[in-house]
Formats: sequence, structure tokens, C-alpha cells
Amino acid sequence: MTDSQLPRYEIFIVERPGRPPTYAGSVHASDDELAMLNARDVFARRPDCHGLWAFRAETISSRTADEALSAFEETEPAPRERYLVFGKLGHKGVPTFLGAVEASDPDEAVGRGRSLYGQDVVLWWVAPERCRLATAAEDAGPMFEPAKGKPFRDQAFYPVETLMRQLRRARTHKQERS
Amino acid sequence: MNEEMRRAAAAYVLSLGDDEMILSHRDSEWTGHAPILEEDIAFANIALDEMGHALLWYRLHAELLGKDPEVHPDRLVYQRKPADFRNTPLVEGPKGDWARSILRQFLFDSAELVRLAELSQSAHAPLAAVARKILTEERYHDRHTRAWVRRLGLGTDESRRRMQQALEELWPFVPDLMARRPEESPLVAAGICPPADVVQKSWEADVIPTLQAAGLRFPTESVPARFDRFHHTTDLDELLAELQSVARLESSEAVW
Repeated sequence: MTDSQLPRYEIFIVERPGRPPTYAGSVHASDDELAMLNARDVFARRPDCHGLWAFRAETISSRTADEALSAFEETEPAPRERYLVFGKLGHKGVPTFLGAVEASDPDEAVGRGRSLYGQDVVLWWVAPERCRLATAAEDAGPMFEPAKGKPFRDQAFYPVETLMRQLRRARTHKQERS
Repeated sequence: MNEEMRRAAAAYVLSLGDDEMILSHRDSEWTGHAPILEEDIAFANIALDEMGHALLWYRLHAELLGKDPEVHPDRLVYQRKPADFRNTPLVEGPKGDWARSILRQFLFDSAELVRLAELSQSAHAPLAAVARKILTEERYHDRHTRAWVRRLGLGTDESRRRMQQALEELWPFVPDLMARRPEESPLVAAGICPPADVVQKSWEADVIPTLQAAGLRFPTESVPARFDRFHHTTDLDELLAELQSVARLESSEAVW
């Protein structure tokens, strides 16, 4: 085995209550519990976060808008399950949760997503709902409370930087005069 | 609160702050060196949280002694001699390997969790408020380190061997982590802090089965405690020599 990386998980965060989960990035972890804990540390320490979703990377199927155009074929009735549908709106956007559909495979899920959630999506992601890990309500306290009241501060917030600037300015001033 | 009680409460709070401060500094040694990137971020987060907790306790220490809560914490950290620190020696040693740091963090956080739950009911309202604030973060640390204790203890032969070795090396420091503090009696009587044996009992009921479930064996030999909050290891001297080196270059106090 040449790849020593731990399994990759794709992470979605709920930034405000009632807003759909949006894609934040990925973490590596040995298992589901550590994936959620790592996701919290990497993506939910400063900005407000009200919930986390995580999927093992290989459970997410991705289709471009062009690929989604080729209509899925109605085949023999196959067992269906719920798929969660994400769409990237515009090239600068990030995959955002749009809703759930019943489908028998990822292509069907994308096709149904497309007919329900419109044409403006440039990239589709779908994953079976059973593969989703989500923070439980009782975990929200320890997972997200500590970040509240801790705004992200740029280094310029701290006066140390200002002092350094003053020193540099004084030195430049001196050099200019000599 | 009378003067004597204030001094006792200040001594107690100082020991809580020093524990957090020294552990935070040791945890920060992992920054850039943790086994995986995600853990690097997680452990740096924990180190920062612990330093934030130290600051809260040091500010409370300042209030109890009528000092300026803005400058007092810096003075406590940068201007005290090692012998004046009141941390428990468990937190003094270098980070060691990942197993040792995880196990130390677990032993400390699980004890904190029990102590803070009691302190959040303290009769001294400002102390109870600080304890409640810290408790939410400690719950998260505890989940994180507990998850790693299980995985390392039940993981590979090497991870189990390293955890077992860490337990044998750290176990002699546990009695002082749990020991009764000299200032405790009047504080317990006034409902300001919990008695040490109450904390110890709930802690043991949690930690011993957790470590056993992680496949670890407890050292059978009891090692007499050589160090306590008043007698530090040379690791603390080395840590403070480095930590205070910049502050010592300038005799006047720098303003940050």
C-alpha cells in the first residue's frame, strides 16, 4: 500500500440556524468519531457553527452539469433509498445542501435533483443519507459553545504589530534623513 | 469573605491557574509536530484553550488579592521563580511521545471535569462563573483525549506498548493531582471548593474502568511521591527558563 493517508471525510457546516449545510473542506481520520472531532477542530473553532455533517469521501458521487444532462435511464424497478443532493451554484460557490430525493443509484439521484432544484447548478454531489454523520443535538454544547464569543482576530488587532510598525517607520525616517 | 478566606481562595485558584498554564505550554510543543495535520490543529487548540483557562484563574487571583487583573497574570507567568509555582508536577514534563501526551491530557482533563463540575456550584459566585465557562471546553477536550486513549490502547502492539509505558511513568504523579491542598479546609467548610477525596472518588470511578477497557494494566508497585505542588521537578526550571527568557532581557515591563 503506497497511500498511508487515513480515510478522507468531506465536511459540511451549518453556519446559521436554519441555513443549509455548505461544504467546508475535508479531514482525514481513522474512523467516524474522530472525523467529527477533527472536523470540529479544523472548521468550527472560530466562525459560528451550529451543526456538522460528514461523509466518507467515497460515498459522495460527483457529476458536472454536462454529465447530469444525460438523462438517467429508467431501468428495472430497483430498491430505492434516500439520497442527499448538493449543488454548487456558480463556479465560485461551494456545494450546498439542496434537499433529499428517493433514487436507486447516484445517477438517478442527480437526475431527480436536477429536475427539482433547477438548472443553475454547475456541479452536483449526491450521497446516500445512511452514509451521513451528523452532530447530535446533545453534542452541540461541547462541540460549538466554546467558539461563541471568540471572534477571529487578524494579527493587526494586537498592538504588538503597531509597535513594530512604529519602530520600522522610525528607522526608515532616520535613514531618509541621513 | 474575610481576609484569611480570601488568601486561602487565592492560593487554591493559583494552583488551578498554574496547572493550566504549564500544561498549555507543554501541549504547545506539539504545534507543527503532531502525527497528523488534523491532530496538530486539535492539540494547538487544546493548548490555547488551557492558556485561556489559566488567564481566567489568574484574573480571579488578582481580584481576590486586590491586584490589577490586566497586569497581574503576566507578572505571575513571567516574574515568579519555579519554587513559587503551585502546579502539580504531572504537567511539568516535556511532551514525550504521542501516547504520553494523550494519556497525561486524559488524566488531567478527566480530573478537571470532576473538579469543575463541583466548583461550578461554589459558594463564591465569581469562582463558580469561571468554572462554568471552562467546563464547556473541558468537556470537549475530554471527549477528544478519551477517544484517543481507546484507540491507542486497543490499537497496534506498538501503540499499546507506548500507552502502557506512559501509564507506568505518569502514574506516580497522580497522587499529587488528587491530593488535598493545604489551604483547603476553610474553603471546603465554606462551600467554596469540594473536598479532595470527593473529587478523587468520582475521578477513580471514571478513569480506572476507562483505562482498563483500553487494555491497560495498572502499575502494581506503589511509588512514593517525590514531588508535589511545593517541590517541583527540574523540568519546570527548564520550562520557565525558556518561557521567561525574553521577559528577563528587559528589566522594565513590556506592554503587549
